Amino acid sequence: MTQPASRSVGHYQYEERDRVFLQERINEFEGQVRRRLSGELGEEEFKPLRLMNGVYLQLHAYMLRVAIPYGVLDSRQLHKLADIAAKYDRNYGHFTTRQNIQFNWIALKDVPTILRELAEVDMHAIQTSGNCIRNVTSDEFAGAAKDELMDPRIHAEIVRQWSTLHPEFTFLPRKFKIAISGSPEDRVAARFHDIGLLARPGENGPLFRLFVGGGLGRTPVVGRELFDSVKEEDLIATLEAVLRVYNAFGRRDNLYKARIKILVQTIGLEAFRTAVEEELGRMDCAAYRLTPEHVAQIRARFALPDLKAPADAADVLEQHKKADPAFARWVASNTHPHQDEGHVCAVISLKTPGDIPGDVTVEQMHGLADLSERLSFGEVRVTHLQNLVFGHVRKDQLHELWQGLKALGLAAPNVGLISDIVSCPGLDYCNLANARSLPLAQKLGARFGDAALQAEIGTLSIHMSGCINACGHHHVGNIGLLGVDKRGAETYQILLGGDAGEQAAIGGILGPSFAEDEAVDAVARIVEFYLGQRQKGETFSAMLKRCGLKAFKEVAYETV
Amino acid sequence: MKRLSRPGEGEILLLTASRLLDGRIVWLGEGDHWHESITGAIRFTYEDAGPALERALAEAGQKEVVSVYEVVARDTQPPEPVTTREAIRAHGPSVHPDFSYDHAPVREKESAL
Amino acid sequence: MKLFDLSGRKTLDVASPVPFAEWKDSQQGTAISLPQDVEVEELHPYLGSLTLIVLEFPIFRDGRAFTQARSLREYEGYEGEIRASGHLLPDQAIHLRRCGFDSVALSEDANVKDWEEQLGRYQFYYQNTAVSPA
Repeated sequence: MTQPASRSVGHYQYEERDRVFLQERINEFEGQVRRRLSGELGEEEFKPLRLMNGVYLQLHAYMLRVAIPYGVLDSRQLHKLADIAAKYDRNYGHFTTRQNIQFNWIALKDVPTILRELAEVDMHAIQTSGNCIRNVTSDEFAGAAKDELMDPRIHAEIVRQWSTLHPEFTFLPRKFKIAISGSPEDRVAARFHDIGLLARPGENGPLFRLFVGGGLGRTPVVGRELFDSVKEEDLIATLEAVLRVYNAFGRRDNLYKARIKILVQTIGLEAFRTAVEEELGRMDCAAYRLTPEHVAQIRARFALPDLKAPADAADVLEQHKKADPAFARWVASNTHPHQDEGHVCAVISLKTPGDIPGDVTVEQMHGLADLSERLSFGEVRVTHLQNLVFGHVRKDQLHELWQGLKALGLAAPNVGLISDIVSCPGLDYCNLANARSLPLAQKLGARFGDAALQAEIGTLSIHMSGCINACGHHHVGNIGLLGVDKRGAETYQILLGGDAGEQAAIGGILGPSFAEDEAVDAVARIVEFYLGQRQKGETFSAMLKRCGLKAFKEVAYETV
Repeated sequence: MKRLSRPGEGEILLLTASRLLDGRIVWLGEGDHWHESITGAIRFTYEDAGPALERALAEAGQKEVVSVYEVVARDTQPPEPVTTREAIRAHGPSVHPDFSYDHAPVREKESAL
Repeated sequence: MKLFDLSGRKTLDVASPVPFAEWKDSQQGTAISLPQDVEVEELHPYLGSLTLIVLEFPIFRDGRAFTQARSLREYEGYEGEIRASGHLLPDQAIHLRRCGFDSVALSEDANVKDWEEQLGRYQFYYQNTAVSPA
């Protein structure tokens, strides 16, 4: 194995006290496991404690969800995740829609040991579940994308630290998710989070547009703008104020009405804003002020990549593309423009058609870590669409990366295309699911797997959830699928017209649910209809608006 | 106590749980032991299942299992759960034949600790 | 019941608390208990005559009293004793102390050792809390 990079780029570098903190947290959890096994703690009391350490009891075993703060990993961390998958799991890891990685076959008695191994590489599973502030997510192209206004990771780390074991907000009515982006194009689904932050530079420092009360699940809601321009120094105070109002007034009598979105809906955005402003008015804002010194301290612990590329890097890439059409196709779908002319962001699809979305093997993890060391500053990012990103790849080295990915079976040229399917684990693993989602995702992937067909269809997203909790974000897929239990049989509802970005929209339900194979055929007919009827350059959502849901419904339910 | 699921014609009830230490699925078998394989699971009638479940719940702590409940299964050899969910629990995830509980007979691990 | 000292800030008050709703009528004594659904602002006119406020946890997962305690300290400037009572876990000792609680009412058979151990567990915390410095 390659030696770890001395100073990995892209995420906060732990200092000694952060490491000591992780050890203390693991000691605490070890004690809790001991008390559970001795019977001192019952399951009802233990459950929230283990959840706050990322441990679920799933269908076949315990599942451990490891945090990847703002989606950034370094190569030594990825190697370590591979080692854990090999030693404690069944040679797989599964990347989720919240920039976490999950292991599905974990034994509770092993968890403290696994957490110690994770801590060796500055990783943890803190607050990846439970009714607390969850892992902070961010833009997968942060600090690299050409269109970026501001690198959101410094503030993402500040929020991560602030939320870690927060004394007041650890026993909230329900879970609380925060996402932050610094791009004009919302790549974090900010309007579908409890709090979504869009950062931009202002004349006197960063400003944050703050959305509140978005979310999917049982009651999908598009978040509302609470404040247009929160100043950097007020960021923590504002988060404190929002959380304080939620902790005091969020419903606790009904699990399904306990998220902040219900509180905002119930009292109304204006009343909610007034309540937050009242808190801010009474708060000793000096005590919560985010000082420039603190921001600078955190910023100093982020290493930046030294972006040097040969002058002819872009030309070399063009030559490679000309020589190899398969490579050219991959470049067309799987790259994103970089701030630096000599570099690109490469997206690694974990959606090889026919495979399980988001799954990686131990060999692939080690292979990716090695490739990242060679070709992207030892940095790997996880996207909320269950893919990976190498943030800074030299254009003249992109072909080398592609060849390396091909050898790992990870070169599917389908990012943003129809077989780039987002899916939750569904009934094959999950205790809450009503229906399986992975087999359907696999069938749909295979059905549209042909590269030429996908290129013809163009940008189109399919999102699949195995139950109403919507971990597969089915509401925001252009085509969404939701598993529904119909008297013990698995059936699937189809939703059309969802969008997670700037044009945030929740998909409309087409009609009665389908059996699994019927659902695949219905999606195929919908796509065929789109191909046949779309106007030049018309997106799926645009055509849906033009033709109406009814036209699509007729096609979907047509019996052949 | 919640009402038990009622087995239909040709169906019986089994008791299942998750093992506390490793979360693995277990089925109540002979001698009131929890086994990883469904093959030897005790078949209960609707009438017998209630008291058996109550006893199993009372002993859950001592036997180191959690989430004890009853499952409706067809009275075949081995018994076959009626719902997809329970079939997946009995046979393993459908998307990973290599993780199947049937093909690679699961070792009866001695209760570690 | 036995009292566990979280803050080491003062001698613990042994007075029996009276439910706030009752106390408001009589204003007898200086110790009250407050359910989680009452906003602490309601105590504002009376805080000068109170030495002990007991905040109740119907179940340990219900964290409203953490916000009540911080509001009492930060907004109301209350300096008397705040006590936690009800269903609590030793795992919550630090949260309580850092939100401004001074004491917790435990059952006679509670394991005080777990509470003590938890209080000394962390060398530092990531947040400033205006009430009790890390």
